[in-house]
Amino acid sequence: MESLLIVKQQLTRFYTRFEAYIVPALKFFAMFFALLFIGSSVGFMSKLKNPAIVLIISLLCSFLPTNVIVLMAGLVIVAHMYALSLECAVVVLFIFIIMYALYFRFTPGDAIVVILTPVTFAMHIPYVMPLAMGFVGNPISCISVGCGTAVYYILHYISEHQDALSDGGTGELDIEGMMGGFKSVIDGILKNDVMIVMIVTFAATIIAVYLIRRLKINHSWHIALGAGVIVCFVVLLISSVVLDAEVGIGGAILSLFISSLIVLVLQFFIFNVDYSRAEYVQFEDDEYYYYVKAVPKITLDAPDVRVRSNNVRRAQEDYDDDEDDF
Amino acid sequence: MTRMAAYEEHQGKKDISISAYFRGDYISFQLLKSAIYATVGFALAVAMYVLYNMETFLEDFYKMDIVEFFKDILSKYCLVMAIYLVISYFVYSYRYHRAKKHVKQYNQLLRALLQMINIDRKGRKY
Repeated sequence: MESLLIVKQQLTRFYTRFEAYIVPALKFFAMFFALLFIGSSVGFMSKLKNPAIVLIISLLCSFLPTNVIVLMAGLVIVAHMYALSLECAVVVLFIFIIMYALYFRFTPGDAIVVILTPVTFAMHIPYVMPLAMGFVGNPISCISVGCGTAVYYILHYISEHQDALSDGGTGELDIEGMMGGFKSVIDGILKNDVMIVMIVTFAATIIAVYLIRRLKINHSWHIALGAGVIVCFVVLLISSVVLDAEVGIGGAILSLFISSLIVLVLQFFIFNVDYSRAEYVQFEDDEYYYYVKAVPKITLDAPDVRVRSNNVRRAQEDYDDDEDDF
Repeated sequence: MTRMAAYEEHQGKKDISISAYFRGDYISFQLLKSAIYATVGFALAVAMYVLYNMETFLEDFYKMDIVEFFKDILSKYCLVMAIYLVISYFVYSYRYHRAKKHVKQYNQLLRALLQMINIDRKGRKY
């Protein structure tokens, strides 16, 4: 435990010292992996799949605000869709604008969540996002996690049905074909039961974790994590049965387990307190009486390597011994 | 002091700009913006609905009751707008309240800091 605390202190110091470089680097890697994921799943425009272009866009995004990064990722996806078919591009653009309007009004600070959610889906640990946002966000974070989930399932559907959705690259304007195309794209995207199941599950998990971790009880964060995992699994089961959606329960259990371990590590870094030393204090100012429960953080200073000389102390002890002899 | 500086640099800017408004003015302004966003979103959703049912629209264009269709759309628009505005009202009321609370705490800390500076100056004079 002590060594973990030392690592935490060292990481905090490192982050504080190099924050100016770490934040752009994190933005760069987030966008880089997001673009790689987009390229691997719906990379229909070969120019945008070019590693040099991916690197340039990621580098550009490392100095831009996170909301602009989301906008940029959205534009890249729409460009890929346009290379597949005009219908896909129009439908995806409309859905993105609706989501952007919804998300941007309520949770503009959660931009990175919209990018990270599809990435965690690609890494098969999607439950990290609702559990983590329950701890670091608020119930409105449901919107940003929901938008990220929708983006993933849109890309997933299109990558799986690319042959059926492609216009064949003829470039001819076939009105009947386009109307059929619109219908199939909208059907496939909006009538995706698994997507609805996941959005409902994530929303329930975020709200449950948020409500429990704010309770004024000891170990509320650990209880919230356990309850969040249970709520997530139960809602997943119920909603998948109700909507008759094909959700792999075995995979979900494994993914939930790994996700909860990751969130436990996250918890260690953002909320690590010692409830055994909690104190209840009362004080007042001109306007209020305050009844405060103060729970100390568990901290440990990282050891500094320095050479210490004990000669002075030894000499003092010798002097004291000599005095005792008299 | 470090915390005050960090607050002033990040969240403080937003909170101070929010608390410069009266509550009613701030919430009305935000509701107006929400209404614009909701209108754009609803217009796009209707456009998608039309694209989805394009075949039916083209075949039955002369048979359908246009007035009834627009009434239906309008009633749904009102419903969506009402839900969106109610949610916006609660969200922005909460944000206004939170910003006021944070700015009040910040001002208290500023006052305490000023007192400390004054005491320090007096101490140096004597």
